Amino acid sequence: MSKVLDIFRFRRKRTLLHELDPRAKFAMLVALSTASLALSDGVSLAVLLVVEVVLLAVAKALREWARSLTGLSTLLILIFVLNYLTLPADRLFTATAMTLRFLCLTTAFSIFFLTTTADELAAALEASGVPREYSMMFTMSLRFVPSLARDMQTVVDALRSRGLELEKGGLRERLRNYTYLLVPLIVFELKRSLMVAEALEARGFGAVKKVEPYIELTFKAKDYVAVIASALALLAVAWVLLSGTYSAFIAWLRGIFPRI
Amino acid sequence: MALVDLRHVRFRYTGSDSYALNDVSLSAERGEFILLVGPSGCGKSTLLRVLNGLVPHFYEGEFEGEAKVAGLDVRSTPTHVLARHVGMVFQDPENQLFLSSVEREIAFGLENLGLPRSEVKRRVREVLREFNLESIKEKAPYELSGGQQQKVAIASVMALEPEILALDEPTANLDPLSALEVLTLVNRLVKEKGVLAFVVEHRLEIALRFATRMIVMLKGCVAADGGPREVLLKAGKVVGYPPVMLAHVLLKRKGLVGDGVPLTCEELAEEVIAKWAMRYS
Amino acid sequence: MGDAILVEDVHFSYEGVPALRGVSLTIRTGEVLAIMGENGAGKTTLVKHFVGLLKPERGRVLVFGTDTRDASVAQLARRVGLVFQNPDHQLFAESVEGEVLFTLKNMGYPPDKARAICDSILKLFELDRYRDRSPYSLSIGERKRLAIAAVVSYNPDVLVLDEPTAGQDFFNKSKISKLIFKLRMQGKGVVIVTHDVEFAAQVADRVVLMAEGRVIREGGAQDVLTDAEALRRARLVLPQIPATAAILQAEGLSLPSKPLLPGTLYLELLEHLNHRWSEHE
Repeated sequence: MSKVLDIFRFRRKRTLLHELDPRAKFAMLVALSTASLALSDGVSLAVLLVVEVVLLAVAKALREWARSLTGLSTLLILIFVLNYLTLPADRLFTATAMTLRFLCLTTAFSIFFLTTTADELAAALEASGVPREYSMMFTMSLRFVPSLARDMQTVVDALRSRGLELEKGGLRERLRNYTYLLVPLIVFELKRSLMVAEALEARGFGAVKKVEPYIELTFKAKDYVAVIASALALLAVAWVLLSGTYSAFIAWLRGIFPRI
Repeated sequence: MALVDLRHVRFRYTGSDSYALNDVSLSAERGEFILLVGPSGCGKSTLLRVLNGLVPHFYEGEFEGEAKVAGLDVRSTPTHVLARHVGMVFQDPENQLFLSSVEREIAFGLENLGLPRSEVKRRVREVLREFNLESIKEKAPYELSGGQQQKVAIASVMALEPEILALDEPTANLDPLSALEVLTLVNRLVKEKGVLAFVVEHRLEIALRFATRMIVMLKGCVAADGGPREVLLKAGKVVGYPPVMLAHVLLKRKGLVGDGVPLTCEELAEEVIAKWAMRYS
Repeated sequence: MGDAILVEDVHFSYEGVPALRGVSLTIRTGEVLAIMGENGAGKTTLVKHFVGLLKPERGRVLVFGTDTRDASVAQLARRVGLVFQNPDHQLFAESVEGEVLFTLKNMGYPPDKARAICDSILKLFELDRYRDRSPYSLSIGERKRLAIAAVVSYNPDVLVLDEPTAGQDFFNKSKISKLIFKLRMQGKGVVIVTHDVEFAAQVADRVVLMAEGRVIREGGAQDVLTDAEALRRARLVLPQIPATAAILQAEGLSLPSKPLLPGTLYLELLEHLNHRWSEHE
């Protein structure tokens, strides 16, 4: 579980992607995820994935991504199998496409989150006009994800040390045992949020409506390049979809794909 | 007028049957290092939170009596105003350091007050220098040790230049050396800047050497308030005597030491040597 | 007294970062062992190996003869009870009484026997007046007692307490030390993970100092807790009495043995000074 969450955790490095303005990276994220959703065949999505892997390499984040793949693999297999079994025709075609789409989406998000700190994100949100309370809410949730994962692990450890066999038993029994996790975890996180709220108050949060952020976000040349490239990519995708070339391409692909 | 002036303060949390603070009166001035102790549930954490208005603004309930901090009435002054006069540091560094670098953490409080960016940058530079944090200014809080984290927390609230520092068990999760470093820092602020420090602590062996005053609370009331020595003599049974005091009591029975009340090992050693040297001079 | 847990050259890493670098030690029944060191030294990582929550990458851990890799955590927990540092991570039931009963049920006790044990345990820990209340309505000290009570209730042969005195007031610390003495008298093994040197001085028979994933010193409490250099390497300080003895030594008053507690210091000084007087006379 923690392996999967790893791909959304910021890693400090000095790469091109880390130094881009978060708003530029957000534009890239929008382009990549729209492309993932718009494209619906295995070949284009594979190309998209290659593009994303290249970006990951630039961000020196390939190792984290590869490690998380082992955690994601169950989900990926599940998506593939479910699609394969429930569709009437062109099963292999659609199943590969859906699996690749999921992978492209998660990878796009992980590129963003691996290279952007929670408060760069907050600064980006605020610069775009989001009120401070909401941007803080968002970044706080992100910031505490690893803490939550750690607390969950501790509660599981505590349960097992009290003699609860979480690994054994049928599905129903295991589910019931895991519900014992809920109360301590919820209470713990509620208490934590209370403490965080206290600390925020003690640091004058909410004193003024509009705050001049410490981090100055200014667009540099490379940010403009990233945004323009993303816009162009989006336009290209839109054109390909609307002009009918894509449907033709898909029909041809389906034709040569084994009909299974 | 005193920096902190509480008169007959009573407070009951909403939904609670008992009073967390039951007729508490005290006043405190600049330059005091006040050790606030008592068994769990005695009201010391509540008292601390009256100082910056978390009680009664954040924690609602019935509040009676007068509470003035830096001349402001706590009941009618919002917490973010009081935060400029009272810096509060909590026990768990993880829940009070929110941002991705030390530098930003220190800027956070200043940002919140709506200060212009240039002013914020200037103060951040000053604070980094004063607290010796320049070398770690780009590190994220989770990359720091517990002791460093608490120092950053203290620096972050001191950036707002409060006259009062309130620390709620700041060393509970720290090893003894880090605990000593953190309390030494607080002491330095008290001595050099005249900060009024309220420190809630259980580990007396470390904190006593710095305290100018000790307040023991019991069931919402102030049970003892005065110099640490007299307070310990009076209330030691409740809060525990430091080992050197226990040794002293035993030695005194046999006339092996004088009448002093040692709080630290240096003081006990002095007492023993004084008596011992006297015998052979 | 026998060997309960054997740790043989254990190596363990978290995500590639080494946490334990070849640790070997023995936990015995009828003995209180303190594992000490700064946060991050590997103490908690080590004790998680005692119930198989973590399995060693190299080396092995034998719990009463069973390799931890060959048994489930629940099975190992029957003989080794682990109480985590924060009680809020380990309270699962709706009532105080339910918490103890939940544990006993998991450990295979039939309902009527469980009831009887529950009654006596709650009385022992002075929690029976809260028996129907939610665990979360108790104060922090009481929640800690409850967590310990639940684990003690099923009578494990070894009890492991992770930072039992962190943030605890004097009253609760005394209760915990009394419990530890009682368990030792009953022939149980007790392991405390702590950086509270005063507490270790009071209760520990043996002490293990850890730093950076290794054991840097091991021995009787009196030897280790008076070794200033080793303690410093583990980010700890001398307890007050040995610190006093060290100062006395520097001033020319050396004591034959190394006192750890007030009573011992008193007896040593009594004898030493009386001896000198009779010489003098």
